[in-house]
Amino acid sequence: MFEPKIICFFCKWCTSQAADLAGTSRMEYLPNGIPLRFMCSSRVDIEHILWAFTKGADGVLIGGCHPGDCHYQNGNYKTRRRIKLLKKMLKELGIEPERVRLEWISASEGKKFVRVMNQFVEEIKQLGELKV
Amino acid sequence: MNKIGVFVCHCGRNIGEPIEVEKVVQTIQNLPEVAHVEDYKYMCSEPGQNKIRTAIKEKNLTGVIVGACSPSLHEITFRRTVEKEGLNPYLCEIANIREQCSWVHKENKEWATLKAIKIIQSMIEKVKLNESLFPIGIDMIKRVLIIGGGISGIQSALDVANAGYEVILVERNPSIGGHMAQLSETFPTLDCSQCIMTPKMVEVGQHEKIKLYTYSEIEEVSGYVGNFKIKIRKKSPFINWEKCNGCGECVEVCPVMMGNEFDVNLSERKAIYRPFPQAVPNKFTIDKRGIPPCKSVCPAGVDVQGYVALTSQGKFKEALELERKENPFPAVCGRVCTHPCESECKRKEVDQPVAIREIKRVIADEEKELPEVKKPPQKEEKVAVIGSGPAGLSCAWGLAKMGYKVTVFEALPVAGGMLVVGIPSFRLPREEIKKDIEYIKRWGVEIKTNSPIKDPKKLLQEGYNAVYIATGAHKERKLGIEGEELEGVYYGLDFLRKVNLNEEVKIGEKVVVVGGGNSAIDAARTAVRLGAKEVTIVYRRSKVEMPANEEEIEEAVKEGIKIHFLATPVKFVGENGRLKKMVCVKMKLGEPDSSGRRRPIPIEGSEFEMEVDTVIPTIGQTPDLDYLPKESRIKVIEKWNSLWVDDVSFETSVPGIFGGGDVVTGPSTVVEAIAQGKEGAISIDRYIRGVDLKEGRKKEVKKVEKIELPKKIKKEERQRVKTKEVSERVTNFEEVNLGLSKESAIIEAKRCLSCGGCSSCGECEKVCEPEAIDHNLKDEIIEEEVGAIILATGYELYPVEKIEEYGAGEYEDVINGLQFERLLSASGPTEGEVRRPSDGKIPKRVVFVSCVGSRDPEHHFPYCSKICCMYTAKHAMLYKHHVPDGEAIVFYIDTRTAGKSYEEFITKTQEEEKVTYIRGKVSKIFKNNNNELVVWGADTLVGKSIEVVCDMVVLSMAITPAKGIKELTQKLKIQIDEHGFLQEAHPKLRPVETLSPGFFLAGCAQAPKDIPDAVAQASGASARVLEMFSKDKYLHDPIVAEVDEDKCSGCGICIPLCVYGAREYEVKEEKRIAKVNEILCEGCGSCVAACPSGAGGQKNFKDTQIFKMIEVVLK
Repeated sequence: MFEPKIICFFCKWCTSQAADLAGTSRMEYLPNGIPLRFMCSSRVDIEHILWAFTKGADGVLIGGCHPGDCHYQNGNYKTRRRIKLLKKMLKELGIEPERVRLEWISASEGKKFVRVMNQFVEEIKQLGELKV
Repeated sequence: MNKIGVFVCHCGRNIGEPIEVEKVVQTIQNLPEVAHVEDYKYMCSEPGQNKIRTAIKEKNLTGVIVGACSPSLHEITFRRTVEKEGLNPYLCEIANIREQCSWVHKENKEWATLKAIKIIQSMIEKVKLNESLFPIGIDMIKRVLIIGGGISGIQSALDVANAGYEVILVERNPSIGGHMAQLSETFPTLDCSQCIMTPKMVEVGQHEKIKLYTYSEIEEVSGYVGNFKIKIRKKSPFINWEKCNGCGECVEVCPVMMGNEFDVNLSERKAIYRPFPQAVPNKFTIDKRGIPPCKSVCPAGVDVQGYVALTSQGKFKEALELERKENPFPAVCGRVCTHPCESECKRKEVDQPVAIREIKRVIADEEKELPEVKKPPQKEEKVAVIGSGPAGLSCAWGLAKMGYKVTVFEALPVAGGMLVVGIPSFRLPREEIKKDIEYIKRWGVEIKTNSPIKDPKKLLQEGYNAVYIATGAHKERKLGIEGEELEGVYYGLDFLRKVNLNEEVKIGEKVVVVGGGNSAIDAARTAVRLGAKEVTIVYRRSKVEMPANEEEIEEAVKEGIKIHFLATPVKFVGENGRLKKMVCVKMKLGEPDSSGRRRPIPIEGSEFEMEVDTVIPTIGQTPDLDYLPKESRIKVIEKWNSLWVDDVSFETSVPGIFGGGDVVTGPSTVVEAIAQGKEGAISIDRYIRGVDLKEGRKKEVKKVEKIELPKKIKKEERQRVKTKEVSERVTNFEEVNLGLSKESAIIEAKRCLSCGGCSSCGECEKVCEPEAIDHNLKDEIIEEEVGAIILATGYELYPVEKIEEYGAGEYEDVINGLQFERLLSASGPTEGEVRRPSDGKIPKRVVFVSCVGSRDPEHHFPYCSKICCMYTAKHAMLYKHHVPDGEAIVFYIDTRTAGKSYEEFITKTQEEEKVTYIRGKVSKIFKNNNNELVVWGADTLVGKSIEVVCDMVVLSMAITPAKGIKELTQKLKIQIDEHGFLQEAHPKLRPVETLSPGFFLAGCAQAPKDIPDAVAQASGASARVLEMFSKDKYLHDPIVAEVDEDKCSGCGICIPLCVYGAREYEVKEEKRIAKVNEILCEGCGSCVAACPSGAGGQKNFKDTQIFKMIEVVLK
């Protein structure tokens, strides 16, 4: 059975907190995503994502604060623009843009976090292994 | 060569069970550069921490990883541990293998273990490349801002101030005290709430270290912890609080009543008010809601709400004074104004608009003698006004009030313009016009009748400093059909003028008036009074398009005048030069024309004849400027033959000559002419003084936005005026409308809803001895600098309107807990007697309903509001004390008594006070056919449904965060949870602070709680603030961005990206590169990701580290 390798870049203030909340609430979800904590989703460089794909990731999940609520004012807007461009690039490179997902999850949205994780893992399962 | 120590915590069984710690230890041990691996049950405990210290010492560790719970809990703990052993704290990282691993993958042990290993590995890679970092010391401003002046805010303020630091306390209501001030007695001691709190309030008000800003809100917050810049908006109370001594004389004379928020709308207060007698500061405030619709739509800007309010108090003289501030024609307008104010009156949404014009007439008529006027010092300059209609006279009046010498030149033998020659005296008696003109003359205006002026420019040459043209629109529109010159055809304006000037007019017996405007109606009604046997109005459109006032048309019909719609004359036929008959054609309505009304189209072949001996065509008026000499170069708009003036300054094309009224606008209303005349006066005054004519003229009218109709309004019919009997009217020209009586006017004025709040009537100013009132006082923006902020914004109750099953707020006697507190309070709306809001009777059976809106995840809120069980018991107990023979029934689901002495209190309520407790939810509250309240509930302990008929219901509404919390937290960039309560840093261990450094929490803003807990939390927050202030400097996290100077190309992409302004250019060795201001940098990293040359880095989170972390995770 193909088990996707997913790497997650979560912002410290919102999504990582939501992940913690999911933990405190003892919600179960699929374990395929390994979390890395960033100060802000805007620290995520396109290079990090591409590097992840070259090193074996089948999917990359980025989590940040809702627009308007970024701890650093507008970091998440920058992330949004960058990921949009990246997705266009990925198409050219022959990688399905759905393998990168940007999601806004606030600190109190533990349930949403679990839902997104499970959804994403399933989606990547459908897309199959990424052969770069 | 790195020597990393890895310490895996079992966290009891939290990590130990789902994860095979042994396997983790074994795998990690074999990794390169790992010098020591150890596991323990509770790493954060003392023995656990000692293990780390021992390992550091013995093995000379260069980095430490602790695999444990979330770093938000213990990163600080472990970093302190390693620091004690001499290792830089930033060389210690936490691997979150609990919240983000063991707790969420319990059902997948193999995966959980693998994931834990990966997470730990990623942190090992990170720490390998970490540098020793040292917190950046920032100077901090040791002052605290506290937002919210309830009991929590007050407690925190006193704590910090008593420790010697300055406090800025901002409260949006005029007084501090919050909801606790509204309570009667508090559980479980039944202490009087005011008694225990007012000493603290007074202390806050008098404390030398506390700067109190009430009636203020936070406008803007910028900066960072230790250095916040705050902008506070101090709302204007329109009273200078330094001068106000709280005497209260003003309240007695204020005529405006509004809902009293302190009594939760169970009573009313005046527009000038003090929230409660023990208010701190003990000052009065004027509640202005904006310009009410009536005033905003009045062209003359009359303070409509003001004089109506004064009338409601019987203050006719003061009302007339207020009217005359803006309008010198009250007697005239009180009879003929088209009342745009009434069309906008909000009362029309309840029943009918307030009869504002009739009220104006009453106050004008009540005056028996014209008042003396205090003329201002005379100026040298003189102004000429041409035309003594309402526009000309208003301009003259305006100028005379400023001290100018004004002469009004009037061509006719009598002053008044269209008022005299156009409007018949049965609508506007001549004495009333004379009265208003006499008032204007008292200001020093000279009127020269029989003095036509042809050349305005000549007046300038004769020494007048300015000229105002207000010659009106007195030229008739002609039909332009055959037979117009026949005897018996009298054009309407000419006809009315002759009658009004008492000249002889002969009309026949069969009169037809052509036209549909007010003048046509006036002509028809005049014809009746001159003895015509039959008067018919012929109008070319239908009733809907008729421009005349409804009231006028009604009266005309009453007087026997017939109206023939959809017809127009095409020819007059005469005999021997006298009119004999009129040929008309029928009309039909086509598409709308430029006026928006449907265009009348003649129907081919539908001609018919009417036998008539008199026809009075009254089809419209235009200005007539043919008298102006050509060389005057005064521009005329040819299309309308009207005077051209500038939109804003009303200056004509010739400097020094101004104009207004019908001569500019074409036929319009009296009040519009008055408004233009006043503007003309302002312009002329500016012109004479050599000041810019247009600056600041177009004022932004701050109209009241949302006017909420008060909930309990009883419909009341508008007072009706008496009119003369038709039989008594038609033989004379006496006034038909007899107006309202004094008493009726007062009753009618009381129907006003006071939409604008305070109406600036000025009565309070008259009685304020210290002269503290200033209706022009503006809001003030105050700037302050602080180092820390405590949020104590409190709560509000979920509205009853949201609960449909309980009547959605329709039933007056279904109230919430705070309202019941007010009923119980000695200073409340019923002076402490428990009475029903609807009829004031004492309720003999009261039902208390718990958990309304709380514990209801499907429809409202899932949480418990914590305090309701206790205050419901208190309410029931106090009710029984007030009404010993009354019955109190409490419907509950659980009874939560988790505080000190709480359980004993409830037991006493149930056993001694004999309050009935029924376990079950209430499904519906409604009224039966006898208008009694019925409560449907259940008694789950016996398994029955219950119906209770009662006199009053008190609902325990859910506690929700205070209004406006979302906007405030967005300004401050701090987080709220899904219900709007402020998010604490950690629900268990850090409940008085947020994750954003410098922001602390206290009270119900964070979660529902009772007073002891709120006070405790407030002191907790102050303690944290004092901890911060006890240090020399605030330590700023050193995880900042950095620039590799060799790689930086100076492209500048990163500089505008930084929202904190932490990036700037610097020139080093002739090369321009980017530089990071470490104090301002918050460490988000967005600039780093944007750098195209790879010069951007972040301390201890470089790209090299991130690449390695990614690689090791995916292996």
